[in-house]
Amino acid sequence: MFLFGDSTLFRLGKGLDAAALRQRVIAHNLANLNTPGFKRSAVTFEETLSRAKDAAGLPLARTHERHLRQTAAPAAEPRVTTETDTYRRIDGNNVDIEQEMLEMVANQLRYNSYVQQVNSRFNNWRYVINEGRR
Amino acid sequence: MNLFTSFQISGSALTAEKLRLDVIAGNIANMSTTRTAAGGPYRRRTVAFAEDLAASRGRNDSVSFHGRGVRVDRIYADHRPPQLVFDPDHPDAGEDGYVRYPNIELAKEMTDMITALRSYEANTTAVNTAKSLYLKALEIGR
Repeated sequence: MFLFGDSTLFRLGKGLDAAALRQRVIAHNLANLNTPGFKRSAVTFEETLSRAKDAAGLPLARTHERHLRQTAAPAAEPRVTTETDTYRRIDGNNVDIEQEMLEMVANQLRYNSYVQQVNSRFNNWRYVINEGRR
Repeated sequence: MNLFTSFQISGSALTAEKLRLDVIAGNIANMSTTRTAAGGPYRRRTVAFAEDLAASRGRNDSVSFHGRGVRVDRIYADHRPPQLVFDPDHPDAGEDGYVRYPNIELAKEMTDMITALRSYEANTTAVNTAKSLYLKALEIGR
């Protein structure tokens, strides 16, 4: 496998993007804690990614034109959805401060674990490069 | 750019909540003010917040999440009638001997103040989290 075509690294990068976006969305939710009628938003990515991974499955060899054609996996992109159907307060605002704080902490841990995995990936390559030089 | 925006979002909320605290402090300070430039007793002020959105650029996805935090929409003056206190010796007493005091409930102002303070704290935590994410990103490839 070639370093720059590394799909794991690519997915980790996407995960970092999603976590950064989620931090922004949570900050926006918290900023509007006291805005009447505000509806919270959330980022979905990890679920979409695992669904895309399941859909892709194992690659199918196609040696005959009448063999099953494998459909391309849907691109897993982080998506922002707004929760419009819930109510928490009389003014229509549905931001739950505990939930947002919890998600923020979970998101931070997730971000840290992605960074750690990216680094260990790079360390593997560094090891391969250095050992080959000897 | 992605992560820096979250500083701006939380910053907008810190500014808004601080302004709200200022307005509440003003209300408490003027609890018994009977003279104002506009005439009559002081009127209680309330802050109205509105969601701040950047001009929408099509779909609401990773490329164009257009939330920009919060902004102060307006500061409203409360139009409830003033409190009447019978005190004919007061220099601002009316013909009927009643003094018109601002209609400020201290308990209401205090609870508003605590809400604003807690919101301020929540947004400070969001700033700190964004900061630690940013510092962590600098560790990539180290």
